[in-house]
Amino acid sequence: MADPHQLFDDTSATAPGRGYAAQQSPPVGYPAQGSFLAEPMSSFAMTYGSTLASHGKEIVDKNIDRFIPVTKLKYYFAVDTVYVGKKLGLLLFPFMHQDWQVRYQQDTPVAPRFDINAPDLYIPVMAFITYILVAGLALGTQNRFSPDILGLQASSALAWLIVEVLAILLSLYLVTVNTDLTTIDLVAFSGYKYVGMIVGIVSGLLFGKTGYYLLLSWCCLSIFVFMIRTLRLKILSEAAAEGVLVRGAKNQLRMYLTMAIAALQPLFMYWLTYHLVR
Amino acid sequence: MSNFEQSESDFYQSNYATDIQDQGYNDSGAHENLYGSQKCQTQESPQPDAFVPLEMLSSQSYIGQILQPTYNPEFLSHSSYADSFDEEPPLLEELGINFDHIWQKTLTVLNPIKPADGSIMNETDLTGPMVFCLALGATLLLAGKVHFGYVYGISAVGCLGIHGLLNLMSIAGVSYGCVASVLGYCLLPMVVLSSCAVFFSLQGILGTLLAVIIIGWCSLSASKIFISALAMEGQQLLVAYPCALLYGLFALLTVF
Repeated sequence: MADPHQLFDDTSATAPGRGYAAQQSPPVGYPAQGSFLAEPMSSFAMTYGSTLASHGKEIVDKNIDRFIPVTKLKYYFAVDTVYVGKKLGLLLFPFMHQDWQVRYQQDTPVAPRFDINAPDLYIPVMAFITYILVAGLALGTQNRFSPDILGLQASSALAWLIVEVLAILLSLYLVTVNTDLTTIDLVAFSGYKYVGMIVGIVSGLLFGKTGYYLLLSWCCLSIFVFMIRTLRLKILSEAAAEGVLVRGAKNQLRMYLTMAIAALQPLFMYWLTYHLVR
Repeated sequence: MSNFEQSESDFYQSNYATDIQDQGYNDSGAHENLYGSQKCQTQESPQPDAFVPLEMLSSQSYIGQILQPTYNPEFLSHSSYADSFDEEPPLLEELGINFDHIWQKTLTVLNPIKPADGSIMNETDLTGPMVFCLALGATLLLAGKVHFGYVYGISAVGCLGIHGLLNLMSIAGVSYGCVASVLGYCLLPMVVLSSCAVFFSLQGILGTLLAVIIIGWCSLSASKIFISALAMEGQQLLVAYPCALLYGLFALLTVF
């Protein structure tokens, strides 16, 4: 930044200078573009403003990495259409899939694009937004729609998601499980149930309450199986995951924990959708 | 800062005395009037005649004394704009509006099946999108709905969301202006839908079908341009889905 002494000189000189500039203008017209920028005061102000802006941007970029791990998030969005299609099919029909192990590549998990078992964030985020819009549509067909209701639905769903993830984190901590499940993984897994919810609401809109209950129970069952099979590999110890019955308090506790997490999903699915279908 | 020093010295060398200047500014309205009239002046040549009709400045000699010493070519040479009127770039070029590019981009949007050229999005051009947003608002107005605020709000939030998503999904990042520009251009079919809404109501099977087709058209062109500009393979439908959600919101505005 230039010396403040100059700044003081400029402001004090504009008082008589203003008259001068005003007197200048009649013959040459109001100095619109070029000469305005040529006045040293304004060019200094412009450079100061732009350095401020770039400095601010640097600060934001530096700090946003502390709160939102952008590179880690990018891993969860490295998906392609084939993966999304297969994953949606898996979420709605997980019974035939055999191998649930996530493939690794030198200690880092492979990107979701290449391994269907890897969790991703694209499906949960899109499913959440679609759920809000479909809820708005459902309320609209029952003439209960207003834009604030949409915001209400969105915030309540988000709040329940945060509560669920915190509860799972707390229970994982209490059971002292040695797992490589990160928070973002848990958010991804909790977000998969929105797919089933959307299917339920849409069938409720098209086929009435019977259709809603039928398809919702199917989706609840499939998400239950999906969660158990996925979390079993992550929470239980190696031996138990392979199916060998290992008796021991620790493993039993972990098994109960997995079942509790999986049972939480159908509960939330029903809780968040029953008031939308009449 | 040397320019200012020099112009300051020019100021002190000019001929007219400061007391005349004080006299001129003692009139209450004179200052604003003088300033206001200066704004209307063109830049190329001094026009002393324009000050004659001003009633505030009564004495002709006063006007003459303003004009004479101030036409100082030394001062003018420090300012970059008036090197010469002929050397100024044309207005449209200075504003960055290139009608040929705008037309090319519009054609790319109107034909969603033809593969797009990745380089057309190199310059961020927001004039076309602004025009299309205004056209959408105007056609909605013709149908009796004053929704300008909603249009701008939805486009701002939608641009922000898609910008974040594309930055996370692609290897090369995008700038916010590029996203806003592409989404704005692909709003053109929505303008077609809302102009249809002026003539017949869209709340029916035909209207819903038309809305779905238009949403598909908009999101396919937007995803096509994004894919070619960011070199993302195998992700066109994934990019098209959030765009379809965004344009679905616009269609909701238009239909209901």
